[in-house]
Amino acid sequence: MALRINPKLIDELEVYGAEDVSKCYHCGNCSAVCVHSSDPYVFPRRSMRNLQMGLEDKLKGGLEPWLCYYCGECSEQCPREAEPGETMMSLRRWLTSRYDWTGISRLFYRSWRWEVGAILLVGFLTALGFLLFGFSQGSITHYNGSNAFLPSSKIHVFDWTLAMLLLAVLLSNAARMWWYTVGRDRSVKVPMKSYITKAYLLPAHFITQMRYAKCARKTPWLTHLVLMLSYLTMLVLIMFFLSKMASGPKIDWYVHIFGYLATVGLVVGSVLFLRNRLRKSSAQYTHSHESDWLFLVLLLVVTLTGISQSILHHSGVDVAANIMYVVHLSVVVPMLALEVPFGKWSHLAYRPLAMYFADVRAEGLTRREPASVPSEGLRAA
Amino acid sequence: MEEPRIGVYVCNCGTNIAKVVDCDAVAEFAAKLPGVVVARSYKYMCSNPGQEMIVQDIEEQSLERVVVAACSPRMHEQTFRRALETAGLNPYLFEMANIREQCSWVHDDGAIATEKAQALVHAAVNRVARHEPLERMSVDMCPNTLVIGGGIAGMTAALELADAGKRVYLVEKQDHLGGNIARVDLTAPYLDSARDILTYLVTRVLEHDNIEVMTESRVERLDGFVGNFKATLGSLANAADGNAAVDVGSVIVCTGYKEFDAARITHYGYGKLPNVITSFELERMLRQGRIETKEGRPPQFVAIVHCVGSRSEEYHSYCSRVCCMTALKYAHEVKSALPKSYVSDVYVDMHAFGKGCEDFYRQSSEVKTLFLMYGRGEHPVIRKADPGDECGMLIEVNELLSGETVEIPADLVILMVGMEPREDVDDVAHLVSISTDKDGWFIESHPKLDPVATTTDGIFIAGACQAPKDIPDTVAQARAAAARILARIARGKLVVDAVYAEVDEDRCSGCRVCNELCPYVAIEYDETKRRSHIISALCKACGACVAACPSGAIKARHFTDEQIFAEIEGVLE
Repeated sequence: MALRINPKLIDELEVYGAEDVSKCYHCGNCSAVCVHSSDPYVFPRRSMRNLQMGLEDKLKGGLEPWLCYYCGECSEQCPREAEPGETMMSLRRWLTSRYDWTGISRLFYRSWRWEVGAILLVGFLTALGFLLFGFSQGSITHYNGSNAFLPSSKIHVFDWTLAMLLLAVLLSNAARMWWYTVGRDRSVKVPMKSYITKAYLLPAHFITQMRYAKCARKTPWLTHLVLMLSYLTMLVLIMFFLSKMASGPKIDWYVHIFGYLATVGLVVGSVLFLRNRLRKSSAQYTHSHESDWLFLVLLLVVTLTGISQSILHHSGVDVAANIMYVVHLSVVVPMLALEVPFGKWSHLAYRPLAMYFADVRAEGLTRREPASVPSEGLRAA
Repeated sequence: MEEPRIGVYVCNCGTNIAKVVDCDAVAEFAAKLPGVVVARSYKYMCSNPGQEMIVQDIEEQSLERVVVAACSPRMHEQTFRRALETAGLNPYLFEMANIREQCSWVHDDGAIATEKAQALVHAAVNRVARHEPLERMSVDMCPNTLVIGGGIAGMTAALELADAGKRVYLVEKQDHLGGNIARVDLTAPYLDSARDILTYLVTRVLEHDNIEVMTESRVERLDGFVGNFKATLGSLANAADGNAAVDVGSVIVCTGYKEFDAARITHYGYGKLPNVITSFELERMLRQGRIETKEGRPPQFVAIVHCVGSRSEEYHSYCSRVCCMTALKYAHEVKSALPKSYVSDVYVDMHAFGKGCEDFYRQSSEVKTLFLMYGRGEHPVIRKADPGDECGMLIEVNELLSGETVEIPADLVILMVGMEPREDVDDVAHLVSISTDKDGWFIESHPKLDPVATTTDGIFIAGACQAPKDIPDTVAQARAAAARILARIARGKLVVDAVYAEVDEDRCSGCRVCNELCPYVAIEYDETKRRSHIISALCKACGACVAACPSGAIKARHFTDEQIFAEIEGVLE
């Protein structure tokens, strides 16, 4: 059965950042230089070809974009300046919008105005909600205690509610991702055993990012790891130790030391990435989509408002600390509510999932009849 | 017969000959042969001291014949003939024995090789004793030129000659000048207007005092030989106009090409599917400024199919050279006329070899042309799409860069038809006595060293009638042909080699066997005398007629029976 070519798809992907893919003439240098490219997941050339030809189903079922960490070597090697690295990045954006059943992701990636508008709106509503809540049950002059403006016990409930909602959306999108990339493909039979024996890959990839470490340049991996671990630390602290975090003004070193380390990691990481993008220091930082800027700016603002809040709180200026807390929450909530399931943040889930799926799918592929495995030379690249 | 005084020189060619052949022994052997008065062995006979040695011996020893045993006569026969001339001896009183290519280079055994070299020298000495002094002939060079074909090659060559003050007769079959370029809109890769190029050339040609343009005309006959042709020109429009005869010294054939008939490939549906068109049909649309389907709508999906009739075992095995860049030109022109359209370029290999072409290929990618590669020998299949589909046709092809069988949507399909020789190519070849290759293109004298001359002296070829080529190559070839002709005109006279065949009219029976046989059409039949006659200027001394003549009436100068028999005896003795 012949596959129908759709020349219009590259127009759609252009909005997601794949502006140069039509320049590719398939020399295959990009696939040759990539350390992650190996059978059966050979990329970026093949993904670029599917995109040029508009083979939407193949693209949607591809895990390759998530196996790329965008070290930028392929783009530097490309004789046609077709930006294979940025194309893979654009495909990740596009895939995110395809996995998301709500359509919000698609809306955000296609229009930064909508995205910024939504963040401002949610931020405004959050601020309004917490102010009303604070004034209704506490005093703005109290940060801690029974009369606290925003008591940590209540906030904790809110945090967990939000987290569960986000998790639900993310999981439903992840299920769609599994369906497109593994479940739907009738030609691959993945045994249940593989899903279980390979399950360790999920936390392993998530925490160590060992694939990223294989890239020739180690600095981006290290920066990314520090940023991710800091974020993770902060998440754990907030989800499980919020009351300790909010205690004070005395510093509880057993908990707070992790908070300080994570804060330093978040500031250093986001500032470094912002600097790289501003300076366009190497290939992977040359093209910055609006979603990339928003991701880093929000992260930095969240960190800075958190720091300010903490300083004010520990200095005993409770009114200012409370106001800063509201400001902090009105940035954190839209960041988590909108960016984690629908924006660039979602890659923290999709990337380890893709590596897990890729390995189990590869096991399924080896069980296929040898005759159906493409043997022609050109197919390999 | 009184023995002439012969000098024999054995060249060592450094060690090329001397390391196998004992050159001194050969010289000693030669010294004892009848008539030999001097025999020497020397390191390099072709060097200045070597040549001077011959000149000095001729003068001091009163030599009448010279033999040099060295390399192939192709290499240095002319060198030693000039040495003889310098010393005042007729250059044809010379013979070369090839003891390098045919002896030292092919033998290991020194003793046997030396013996063979002695036999060859013996043959040469026997032969040279029977050489006769021959005089080279010189013929007049008529400064007029006949150019056949009024396309870009013909007009360019005509202008080059006319600007140098020479008269040109430009014969064109059609009622206007321009050839195939007159059917084209823009040119690749710089997107210059073909019309501008053409207007400039046509205006200059028509206004030029030295060019006589004859449209709707053809060359009926071409008689004579290099420097002295007589062309009979006839009108195609009006037979009553009668024929005109003109004298020309040279002829340039610039008859160009015609396009491949796309209907020959049935699965492209050309002639059946209304929106499958050829490249020239698209050119017409482009020149009219409107790209549309037969239904009168601008196409959303445009597909360009390469190598239609070219690079295929079934049709033409050669590459037509201009289609790839022309296809990219279409991608640009379609995209600029219809920015919302999608162009698919279905190619086999992208041949972007010319100046500026690789950049042009890159630019075509930048305007989002979708390049789809198919295998040589495979054929895309074009069919009508289902009603209700967003496109009018679908092209099915095994796409190599993805390894998938795909369907390409198309509303307008452009077939890049290749070039092929014109129908009347054999008539033209016969008219001017030149040959065609297996594909029907005219054969040049030498593909690298002499690409504009032919094996018939005075007949030149330029442009796509020699092989498919683009405009820059055509113009270069046309100017090169003109330059070759101008160089001959500047010399005024043509020197013809003294070695040619002659008919002894007393012995000729007029059977005309030789007339048909001569590959250079150098033999005429004189109706009044009823005898054959060889035009010495055209004869290349191949000897075919000499061997074939049943009456033994033809003698090849410098290759007489007596000379050859003496040579054979020399080898055998």
